[in-house]
Amino acid sequence: MRPGIWQEFDGYDDIAAEIEVSRRINPAYVAEREAIAQYIDRLHPKELRLQVADIITETDSAKTLRLVAEEGYLPPFQAGQYICLFLEAGGIRTARPYSISSQPTQRGYYDITVKRVADGRVSNHLLDEIHRGGTLVSSGPAGNFYFNPLIHRKSMVCLAGGSGITPFMSMIRQIVSCGLERSIHLLYGNKSLDDVIFHDELVDLSRRFENFQYTPVIEAPTAAYTGACGVMTGELIRDVVANVDDKSFFICGPGRMYDFCLPELEGLGVPRRRIRREMYGAPENIWEFEGWPRGLDKDHVFAVKLADGRTMNAAAGESVLMALERHGVVVPSLCRSGECSMCRIKLASGKVFQPPGVPVRKSDRRYGWVHSCTAYPISDLEVLI
Amino acid sequence: MADYDVIVIGAGNGGLTAAAGLARRGAKVLLLERHNIPGGAATSFCRGRFEFEVALHQLSGLGSPEKPGLLRLGLQKLGVLDELEFVEISDLYNVMTADGFRLTLKTDRDQVLATLQEAFPAERTALAAYFDLLAKFAENMIGAFIFRDPEPSREKYPQLYAHALRTARDVLDEYFSDPMLKAVLSVYWGYLGVPPTKMAFTYLAMVFFQYCEFKPYHIKGGSQALSNAILNTFISNGGQVRFNCGAEHITVSDGTVRSVITESGEEITARQVVANASPVTVYTQLIDRRHVPQEVLTELKGRRLSTSAFTLYIGFDSEPADLGITASTNFLMATTDISDGIVDRMQRLDITDEPVVLSCYDVSDPGFSPPGTCQANVVTLKYGEPWLRIPPESYNDVKYRCADGMLQRVEEIFPGARARIEEIEVGTPLTHMRYLGHPAGSIYGFEQLTKDSLFFQPGRHSPIDGLTFVGGWSGDCGFEPTLNSGLAAAKSIIKKL
Repeated sequence: MRPGIWQEFDGYDDIAAEIEVSRRINPAYVAEREAIAQYIDRLHPKELRLQVADIITETDSAKTLRLVAEEGYLPPFQAGQYICLFLEAGGIRTARPYSISSQPTQRGYYDITVKRVADGRVSNHLLDEIHRGGTLVSSGPAGNFYFNPLIHRKSMVCLAGGSGITPFMSMIRQIVSCGLERSIHLLYGNKSLDDVIFHDELVDLSRRFENFQYTPVIEAPTAAYTGACGVMTGELIRDVVANVDDKSFFICGPGRMYDFCLPELEGLGVPRRRIRREMYGAPENIWEFEGWPRGLDKDHVFAVKLADGRTMNAAAGESVLMALERHGVVVPSLCRSGECSMCRIKLASGKVFQPPGVPVRKSDRRYGWVHSCTAYPISDLEVLI
Repeated sequence: MADYDVIVIGAGNGGLTAAAGLARRGAKVLLLERHNIPGGAATSFCRGRFEFEVALHQLSGLGSPEKPGLLRLGLQKLGVLDELEFVEISDLYNVMTADGFRLTLKTDRDQVLATLQEAFPAERTALAAYFDLLAKFAENMIGAFIFRDPEPSREKYPQLYAHALRTARDVLDEYFSDPMLKAVLSVYWGYLGVPPTKMAFTYLAMVFFQYCEFKPYHIKGGSQALSNAILNTFISNGGQVRFNCGAEHITVSDGTVRSVITESGEEITARQVVANASPVTVYTQLIDRRHVPQEVLTELKGRRLSTSAFTLYIGFDSEPADLGITASTNFLMATTDISDGIVDRMQRLDITDEPVVLSCYDVSDPGFSPPGTCQANVVTLKYGEPWLRIPPESYNDVKYRCADGMLQRVEEIFPGARARIEEIEVGTPLTHMRYLGHPAGSIYGFEQLTKDSLFFQPGRHSPIDGLTFVGGWSGDCGFEPTLNSGLAAAKSIIKKL
C-alpha cells in the first residue's frame, strides 16, 4: 500500500485490517475471462461453422438451405434475425446476410432461403455451387427486425416483397407452432404467382390457424387469378386489415417497396413508432437517388488508396466495401445494409455518396467515418481501415 | 516485425487520452481496439432515427472557460477542446417518487441548501451544518491533495482527517433523522456503484463539490463525439490505430514488457505497453503466470469486481415536456432505503423497487435527438453474476421481463410515456460483458468500497517494467477520472522513452 497521510485518518486501522483480511480470504481470480467468454459465445459467437443438411426447392428461383452446426450448437435468436455468411464466391471473399426462415424454438437447424438474383454473385453461388454436405461459415444471429414485446402490438401486419418473406416465415411459424397469443396478417407482394415462396405452406397455415391471415398481392397476375393484385396501396392495406390503429406494421422487401409503402402507411395515419422496417441490403441503382452528382456515370472509375500504399479502382456505382473486396481486402461486415456499422472505415481524403437515411453517427460523419457498404466513391479516395 | 515506442491496448477513455497524449509528444504509438469503434463505454449506437448515448450522464470536472476544471485544461492541452461543444446542465438532479414527491436541485450550492431547507424544515439547522461540513471537507481535500501540501496535519485539515474514511451513511445518520432527506442526499452513490453503507464519505462530498463548483455538462453529439475527437487528434499526430484487433498476449522477459501479440497472431514489439484492459485480464490472461509477481496477485485478490448495469435506451416520439420530463437527470425513487438492502436489489435479476436514474439529454440540448423526439437513458445497477446463470435460450425472455419491470417504474412517474416509445434497446450486464469485455460486466472497475477508495487504489503502475494501467480499473471511475488517468500516464511514460 502506498504510504500517505491517510494512514493518520480516523478509522485507518480498521481499513488496514479489512484490506489484510480481504487479501487472505477472497477467492483468487482464475479464468474469469474464460467463463464469461464461453457464456457470451453461447449467445453471440464470433463465427458459426455450418453444414448444409438439406436443400429444399421452394420455387423455380428459390431454395432453402437447411444448416446444422458442425459443433452441434446453434445459438438462440429472435424470429426475424439474420446470419451473415462469410464466403468466397466467384473468386472474391465477401459476406451476405440472410434472414433465418425457420422458427426460433427449434434450434436443430437454421433455414435460410435464397432467391436467384440477376447478376447475384453470392445467391447464384449458393444456389449452384453449394450442395448437401457442403460447409459454410457465418456470423451469429444478428439484427433488430423482430417483435419487441415491450412496445409492439400483439396484432402485427407484415408487408413482404419477394425474398423479404424470410424473416416473416420465422415469425409466422413461431406464432402458430407455439400457440402464441399474437396474430399476423401477411400481405405478400410478388411479380407473379409462380414467384411466391412458401405459398402452399402459407395458404395451409392461414386455413388452420385463426391468428394468421394471408393476402398474396400479385403485380402481374394471369387472367385466371382472383386475389389481390397490383401493389400494396394504403387502400388495399386498409381493406384487408380493417382497423389499423391497434396494429404494429413490419416491412421487409426491396428498396422500392419502402419508397412506396411508407408514404401509404403514413397516409393511413399509422405513426412512425408502429412501423418497423428491415434494412434489406444496400440500395439498388444508387445513381438514381436524389442527390447523386449530376452527370456522374455509374461506371466512372475512381482510385481508392489504402494506408499501406495499395491502390485499386472503384466504380462510382459500386460500394467502397465491394470495391475493396474485389481487390482482396476483407473488411468485417454484417448487415451490409448501412445499419450495423460493422464495416465502418475512415476517409482520409475524398468524397463518397451516402444514401439518405443510413444511420451513421453524427460524430462519425464529422470525422469522415462511413459505413463502407453504403458509401459510393464520387472522387478518388484515401481510406483507413 | 513492427516496432513501436508504445502499444496501447484498448481505446476506452484512458487508452485514448494516453495514446493521443503520447503521439502529441512525438512518440510512435500503436492503439489496438478489439471493437470497431473508439470509446469503450464512451460510445453511441444508432437505432432508427436515434443515436443513443451509452454511458455519459453528467460530465464532471470541465468547468467553464472562465473557471476551467482540470478536465477542460487537459482536453485543451490535447488539442480537442475546440473540436467539441459542451452544454451546461442546469439541474444537479431531480428526485421523483410514484406518490408525487418532487424535488429539483439546481447546481448552485446555496440554492441547493435553500431548496432542501424548504422541503425539510425540521432539518434546517442540520442541513446548514452538513453543507458547512461539505464545503470545509472539499477545501481540506484540495489543500492536502490538489495543491499537495508538503506538511499536512490534522490541525490544518480537521474535517479530512475525521471524516474521509467514514461511510457516507454514517455521516448522514449523524446529521439527519429524516430518511427521505438521507436518500435524497445520497443518490449519487449510483455514480460510484456502492451503496452509502459502503461508500466513503469522501466521494459523496467530492461529487457534490465537483458538480456545484464546476457544473455538470453534456457533450453535443454525445460521448462518441469526444472519443472520435481524441482519436482524430491521435491519428493527426501520426498515431496508428487498428480496430477489430484485440491483444492476445503481452510478452514479458526479465520483468520487462517486450511485445504484444494480437488476436491474429502478429507480434509487435514496444518499449512500453499501456493497458486500458482490467488488471484481472492482463495478469491472469495476457501475461504468462510465471512473469506475474506474487505481490500483484495478492493485491488483486483483495479487490472485488464492481457492479454492472441494466439500461434501457429509449427513443420517444415526443418532446421531453410532453412526457413530463423537465430535468436532465431524474432519480426515480421507490423507497428511502439506503441500507445494505440496496445490495440485495443489485444482486437479483428483476426490477421492482430499485433506484433508477433516467437521463434525458434533450432537456439541456434540444437538438440532441431529431425534432419532435427525445431519448432517455434509464439505468439501474445490477451485478453481472446472476445473469450468467440464465440458460442462453431464456436470455431474451428474462431481458424483456426485467425491462418491463423498469418500464412500469417509468410509467408510474411519467404516465403515458410508454405509449410514445418509437425505439427501445435493452442493455443487460451480459451486453456489458460482450462489448466491454470486463469480467462480470463490471462498469466501475474494482468495487469502490471504503477500503478501496481513492487512497487505496491500485494506481497505474505495475512492478512489471514498461507496463502501465489506465482507465477505471486503475483508479476512480467515470469520465473525468478515466480521461485524466490517460493524460497523466502519457506525461509520465514519455519521460521513460
